Amino acid sequence: MMIVTYIVLILSWFFIIFGMIAIFRLKNLYTRILTAATIDTVASFLVLIALIFAASQFEYAIRLLLLILFLLITNPISSHVNIRSAYLIGIPTDVKDGGIK
Amino acid sequence: MTTLELFLFITLLVLVLAMILSFIRLIQGKTIWDRILMLNLISAKVVLFVAVYAIYIDNIILLDIAISYGIIGFLTMTLLAKFIMTGGREK
Repeated sequence: MMIVTYIVLILSWFFIIFGMIAIFRLKNLYTRILTAATIDTVASFLVLIALIFAASQFEYAIRLLLLILFLLITNPISSHVNIRSAYLIGIPTDVKDGGIK
Repeated sequence: MTTLELFLFITLLVLVLAMILSFIRLIQGKTIWDRILMLNLISAKVVLFVAVYAIYIDNIILLDIAISYGIIGFLTMTLLAKFIMTGGREK
């Protein structure tokens, strides 16, 4: 059972590092928000699933499942609210750096 | 230190590194939405950090704190985005 934990944790490190590379390399505001939010959600899921397999008691698994459910609902809502705010203010979608620079 | 503790410790190090890089990007951010995004990322990383640390020291109370911090981070991010969208006015 522990081998699943190790494999999933190693996968999650790569996802976290790719998310950090994405927010430094991409030039457009919308691509940055989309990539960072998506990769961050996947990394959160992988870490929490690994912790479920590593948990020693039943109560840990229940709380971790609650945390996964909460992140599944709120992370897309957060990125959607952020992108909607930027779009309604009037940041153009096809210019580098969101037309600011 | 067992193998599981070693893996959890490396996970904690990666999370701290990601938080530091996000904080650098938050300081030199180009637009206000970039900064809100980085706030969101740091909040998610803090939730993960607390959850991993709860398994690391085998204490179940910290998982409840992680859930509470997740709720607080979501509310902060949503209300800030709405506040900026309406320009500080009520509606």
